[in-house]
Amino acid sequence: MSWATAKRLFCLFVLVAVTLWAMHITVPDAAEQAPVESSRLRDVLAPMQKGLTWLSRQAHFVVSLPVSMYRAAERNQALEQEVASLKSQLVRQNEYILENQRLSALLAYKQVMEQEYDLMAASVIARDPGNWFATVKINRGSRDGVQENMAVLSPEGLVGRVVSVSPSYSEVLLISDPRSGVGALVQETRTPGIVEGTLGGSGMARMIHIPKNSVLEEGQTVVTSGLGSVFPKGIPVGTLGKVRDEPTGLFQSAEVKPFANLEKLEEVFIIMNVLPGAGSSPEGG
Amino acid sequence: MFFPEPVLHRKEVKDVPFLILLLLLAGTLILQTTVLDYVDVLGIKPDLIMLIVVLNGFLLGTREGAFLGYTAGILEDLFAGGYIGLNALSKMAAGYLAGMAGLRLFRENTLIATGVVFISSFAGNSVYYILLSIVGIKVPYFYAFFRVIIPVAVYTSLLTPLIFRRIFRFVQLKDRDI
Repeated sequence: MSWATAKRLFCLFVLVAVTLWAMHITVPDAAEQAPVESSRLRDVLAPMQKGLTWLSRQAHFVVSLPVSMYRAAERNQALEQEVASLKSQLVRQNEYILENQRLSALLAYKQVMEQEYDLMAASVIARDPGNWFATVKINRGSRDGVQENMAVLSPEGLVGRVVSVSPSYSEVLLISDPRSGVGALVQETRTPGIVEGTLGGSGMARMIHIPKNSVLEEGQTVVTSGLGSVFPKGIPVGTLGKVRDEPTGLFQSAEVKPFANLEKLEEVFIIMNVLPGAGSSPEGG
Repeated sequence: MFFPEPVLHRKEVKDVPFLILLLLLAGTLILQTTVLDYVDVLGIKPDLIMLIVVLNGFLLGTREGAFLGYTAGILEDLFAGGYIGLNALSKMAAGYLAGMAGLRLFRENTLIATGVVFISSFAGNSVYYILLSIVGIKVPYFYAFFRVIIPVAVYTSLLTPLIFRRIFRFVQLKDRDI
């Protein structure tokens, strides 16, 4: 090996080592703010991203208009039918609510599900550039009162949580990101587990650490369990897909298809405040 | 299809304005975070930064490819926040590999360039996957290979014919100017 090659190899080695070290020290901690310089860089580019996102949304709308018009009539009919069936369901559900109120009054039971949130709407202006992670940038920041670890929803269900905040923008870690974990339970069977992201691009999550003895079926609903204190209890997360045993043999895991369309998010809601009484543990009885 | 003498010589390499490439990369990064969400297939969007790095590496050589890959990757990392170096190292590997391919293969053929983009993107993303596990982010093998690495390589390489001629002419033009 000549001196030149050795020198080059040495430089490469130093470069790789320094980068690996930088990677380790910049691993974002859930409790810490994002590195200052990168959040500044993000803020500089944000107005441009905002404009471009708006433009591409309009372009997408125009391009897909003929297709959506074509399907509109068919869809309209289906929706009308659905509204009718949902109306009757609602009446029945109101019955249940009234019954529930009567019974819980009898038991002097503190309501767990009586959840009222202070919501703030935000617009998605950019996404993570790669395919591995799933984060989005929204146009609300600390000036609007956004703080880290606030839960983010869409009308369909849970979206994720705020991980870093700058004055006018903040970043949301979606539930499909491999770094995300949400305490959850299966609504029908009350089986607990953790909903973990798989990959940013897939828009899918999976529920892990499900006790082996619980019997689960595809299509069951997963909601947040309220454990871990980031997400309030009872927010719909998604539906169960295939259930399989974990390699360790102690637990099962299942695919979870989130209710929220994580790949095409446009508007989201941030839970600014959970009003007192919501999500607290049951008492009395 | 092997070509004994590389068509482009080392001389013109230094004259490709790095600043222009940097501006191009910044513009691409903005596109990547905004517009590309509307052209995704099965949730996968092509990696335009990778495409630019690999094609330039292919035409300019190993050292330039690795350097451009590292710079572009660092830019992307700073921009995405956290894990500074993940993209830098993986794109450096991809750029270097593309440069090696450029020294051995015929550089004027779009089809060959497409193949090189596929292989380099595959390798670069595999490095990314290894680095992810080093930082402690576990992604199941199946998801990593069949939902990201292979689809991204296919999608990105399919875009090669759209821009390869342009980059090629740009590099050649610089050659003539000297």
